[in-house]
Amino acid sequence: MSYVLSLLIALPLVAAPFVYLATRANKGLGIYLSLALSVAVLVIAGYVFGQVYSSPPAGGQYLFQEKYSWISFSSFGLNYFLGTDGLSSPLIFVSALLTVLVIIGSRRLIDHHEAEYYSLIFMFEGAIMGVFTSLNLILFYIFWEIVLIPMFFFIGVWGGPRRKYAALKFIIFTFAGSTIMLFGFLYFYMGMPSPSFDIPTIQAMLQAHQIPASLEYVPLLASFIGFAVKLPLVPFHTWLPDAHVEAPSPISVLLAGVLLKMGGYGFIRISIGLFPGASAQYAWVFLALGLFSMFYGAVAALLQRDLKKMIAFTSINHMGFVLFGAYATLISGSVLGIQGAIFQMFTHALAVGALFMLSGYIQHQAGTREIPLLKGLGTTMPRTAVILVLGAAAAMGLPPFSSFLAEFMVIVAGISASAITAVSVLVPVITAGYFLWMIKRTVLSPAEPGHEVHDMGWSDVAAFAVYLVPLVILIITSYLILTPALPVAQFLKGLA
Amino acid sequence: MLDYLTLTVALLAGAGLLLPLLQVFRTGSENLAGYILALVLAAALALIGLFTLYPSPVPWAGSLVIPDQMGGVFALVTVGVTLAVTIASFDFLKSTSKPVYYSLLGFTALGMVLLAYSQDLLMLFVSWELMSLPTYVLAGFDKKARSNEASVKYAIIGAMSSAVILYAISLAYGLTGSTQISAVVAGFTSHPSALAGVATLLFVAGFGFKMSLVPFHMWIPDAYEGAPTTISTLLAAATKKAGFIAAIRVLLGITTLYAVTKSPLFTMANVFAVLALITMTVGNISALTQKSMTRLLAYSSIAQAGYILIGFVAFANAPGSSAAMLGLTGTVFHVINHAVMKGAAFLAAALVLLQLKRADLKAYDGLGKRMPITAFTLSVAFLGLAGVPPLSGFWSKLILVLSVANGPYAWLALAAILNSAFSLGYYAWIIKRMYMDQGESTERVKEPFWFVLIFAVMVGLIIGIGLFPQQVINFASNAAAGFAG
Repeated sequence: MSYVLSLLIALPLVAAPFVYLATRANKGLGIYLSLALSVAVLVIAGYVFGQVYSSPPAGGQYLFQEKYSWISFSSFGLNYFLGTDGLSSPLIFVSALLTVLVIIGSRRLIDHHEAEYYSLIFMFEGAIMGVFTSLNLILFYIFWEIVLIPMFFFIGVWGGPRRKYAALKFIIFTFAGSTIMLFGFLYFYMGMPSPSFDIPTIQAMLQAHQIPASLEYVPLLASFIGFAVKLPLVPFHTWLPDAHVEAPSPISVLLAGVLLKMGGYGFIRISIGLFPGASAQYAWVFLALGLFSMFYGAVAALLQRDLKKMIAFTSINHMGFVLFGAYATLISGSVLGIQGAIFQMFTHALAVGALFMLSGYIQHQAGTREIPLLKGLGTTMPRTAVILVLGAAAAMGLPPFSSFLAEFMVIVAGISASAITAVSVLVPVITAGYFLWMIKRTVLSPAEPGHEVHDMGWSDVAAFAVYLVPLVILIITSYLILTPALPVAQFLKGLA
Repeated sequence: MLDYLTLTVALLAGAGLLLPLLQVFRTGSENLAGYILALVLAAALALIGLFTLYPSPVPWAGSLVIPDQMGGVFALVTVGVTLAVTIASFDFLKSTSKPVYYSLLGFTALGMVLLAYSQDLLMLFVSWELMSLPTYVLAGFDKKARSNEASVKYAIIGAMSSAVILYAISLAYGLTGSTQISAVVAGFTSHPSALAGVATLLFVAGFGFKMSLVPFHMWIPDAYEGAPTTISTLLAAATKKAGFIAAIRVLLGITTLYAVTKSPLFTMANVFAVLALITMTVGNISALTQKSMTRLLAYSSIAQAGYILIGFVAFANAPGSSAAMLGLTGTVFHVINHAVMKGAAFLAAALVLLQLKRADLKAYDGLGKRMPITAFTLSVAFLGLAGVPPLSGFWSKLILVLSVANGPYAWLALAAILNSAFSLGYYAWIIKRMYMDQGESTERVKEPFWFVLIFAVMVGLIIGIGLFPQQVINFASNAAAGFAG
C-alpha cells in the first residue's frame, strides 16, 4: 500500500503549526519555510501527476489507493479511503502549484498577522488535497467543510473594507449548500441494499444494477445544490463577487483557482459518477444551466468597473464551460466534453490565477482597481501591461494558450449533443470583447500626467511566467492531461 | 459486599450531608469544600466508569435501580459535568456560604446518578426531585433580584413539571398496578386505553420541561440568564440530560397512542418528530436574535435538544431495525458530545462574565486578543455545536440524521441539516466578533488556572472524539444495544 496521498494531505496539515511558530519568531524565516514546504508538496503532487500520466488507471480504477476502516458499529461502516485518477491528479498538481505561487505573491501583499496567514494557507492546502483524493463520501465531505474555515478567516481578517460581511456571506452560503449535499449522501446511503460510502464500491454496484434507479434523484438534486454553490452556477453565485472583491488578491487566486474547482470536480466525480442514470435523464437541464451561466458571467463581466470583479465574473463564465462540457458528454456520448471540462479546470486555474494576482499588484502599485481610473499602463507600467495583455489573452482562449483548446473541445462536444448549443461560440466572443475593451481603456489609453507609479520587478515577471508558460506548453503537450482523462470520460459515459 | 454503586451513592450522599459542617466551623481555606467535592466527584466518576466499562447489571435496592450501561453513560456525563462545574466554581463563586453551594451540587449529582439507573417510576420520581430541589436554590445563589427571579420562575415551573409527572405515574399505577417501568410499558402495550394515552402525553410534557423541548421551554432562557453561569452550565449540560434518560426509559417502549386512535397520524414517532422539528427550529431562530451570551446559549441548547430527539423518532418508527439502533446510538452519542460542547461554551461565558463583568455580546468583540484561550475554546465549542467536521458534534449529528435520512422522516433529516447550516450563522457571527472585530480594549485579561485546565480537557475531548470517534461510538452503541435488548 502506498502512503503518497496521505503524505500529500498530512504534510501541509502538520506543517501548519510549525509555519506559525517559525513566522512568529522571524517573518523572513517563516516565509522561506513556507516556500520550501509548499515546493515539497508540489514535488509530491508532481510525482503523483507523473505516475497517473505514465500509467493511467483504467476507468473506475484508482492509483495510490489507501483504505482503512475508520468507524464501524452495528450496520454503519466508514473507511478512510484515498485514490487518484486522471480527473483528480491534474487538480492536485495545479493546487500545489498555485499554493507555491500564492506564497510567493503574498510576501508583499500581506502585511499583518503573517504567522496566522501562512499557517492557514497550509491548512487550506491539506484540506484541498483531501477533497481531491477522497474516495469515501463522508471523508470527502469532511475535507470539503474544513476548506471553509481557513477561507472564512482569509476573507474576514485580511480582506478589504467590507470583509466581515463577505466572510459571513461566504461561509453561510457554502455551508448551507454543502450540508444539503450531505443530506443527499445520507439519503442515498440509507436507500442502498448494502450501504456503502465508498465511491468505487457504489460504482461497482451501479454497474451490476444493484442500486434502484429511483434512488438517484434526491441525492442528485441535493448534491447539485452543494456543487452549484461552489462552482458557482448562476443563480447560486451571489457570494462570489463579494468574496472576491473583499479577499486579498493571493486568496482570490486560491478561491478561483482551487476552491471553485471543488464544484466542477464534484459534478464530474459525484453527480455524474454516482447518479449517472438520473444525471443522463436531466442532462439537458444541466447543459442549459451551464450555458446560461456562461452567458451570464460573460455579460456581467462586461458591465464591471472593478478589474477584480470583472475577473470574478470571468470565473463564473469559465466554470460554466466545465458543467456544460461534462453534461454534453452524457447526451452526445462524445468523450471530448468531460476531457475538455477537466482541461478547462486546469487552464482556468492558471489563467485566472495570474489575472487575480495581477489585479493585486496593480492595486498595490497604482492604488486603484477601477478600470476607468487606470490609465496609460502601457507607458507607466510596461511590464505589468504586457503580463496583463498575456493573461487576458489566456483567459479569453486565444491560441497559443491551451485555454483555447479546452474551450474548443467543450464547444465541439456541445454541438455534437445538439446543434442549438452552437450559440455557445458567442461566449468566447463576448469574453474577448470585454477583455479587449478593458485593455483598450487601461493599457492603450494615454497616461495621466503627474501620476507616479512603479512597475513590477523582473522577479515578479518571472513569477507570472510560471502561470502563463505552462499554458503555452500545454497546447502542444495537451496529451499530458487528456490521456489520463480519457479512461475517466469513457467510464463515466459508460455508466450513464 | 460493598459494591461499586453503594460506594458511589455513599460518597456523594456523604459529601452532601457533611460539607455544610465546614460552614459551621469556618476553618481552613475558603475553597476547602469545593476541593473535597471535586475529589469526591472524581472518585465517583472513576467508580461509575469502572462498572460501566465492566458492567454487571445486578439489581440494587430491590431492583428499583439496575446499573446498566445506558444508565452508566448518563451517570458519567452528568457527574463529569458536575465535576467541571465544581472546579470552575473555585474561581467563579463569590459567596459567604460556599460549603452549602458545594453540598447542594453533591446532592444534585447523587440525584442524577440514581435517576440514570432508575427502573421504577417511584425511584425515578424521588431521584428527579433529589436532582431538582438543590438546583432551585443554586439558581438563586447570587441573591440578586435577577437571580432570585430566575430561581422562583424555575422552581414554579419545576414544581409544575414534577406534578405532571406524578399525575402520570398515578395514572400508570392505576392502570397497570405497578410502578416498575417495564411492567408499565408492557401493561400499556397489552391493554391500550385512552387513559394510558393521556398518561403517555403527560410523561412527554413532564420530561419535556427538563429536556427543554418547545413548547415547554419558556423558563429556560430566563433561568439560564439569571442563575450564576456555573449553575446554568449544570442545568444545560447535566440536568437536561437527566430528562433525556427518563424519557428513554419510559417513553421509547410505549406504542399505546397508535393502538388507541388507530390513526397513522398519532404515533409516538410523529409526536417526537413534530417536537424535534419545532424545538430545533424555534431554538435556532430565537438564538439568532439574542443580545446576551447566556440567552444565546440557552436557545442554542434548546435547538440541540431537538437534534437529540431525532434518535427517538428513528427508534419509535421501527423498533428493532438497524435505523432504530443508529438513532438510539446517535442520541446517546450526541448527549455525550453536547454535554462537553455546551459545558465548554457556558464555562467560557462564565469566565468572560467573571473577568469582564458583562454578558452582552459586545463584550466578545476582539476577545481573541484579550482572552485567547477562552476565545479559542468558545470557537471550537461553537463549530462543534454547528456540526462542522471533524469535531465531535459532527459525528453524532451525522448518525442522528442518517437514522432518518431515507424513509418517512427524510423531511426531518433535511430540516435538521438546514437547521445546522442556519445555526452556523450565529455561531460564526460570534467567532467573527471575537477574531475580526475591534474590541474596547486589547489588554490581556487573566485566565485563571482552573478554568484553563477545564477548557484544555474539553477542547481535547471535542477534537479528540472528532478525530478518533470509534471508542466513544462503541460505548454509545453498546449502551443502545444493551437497552434495546
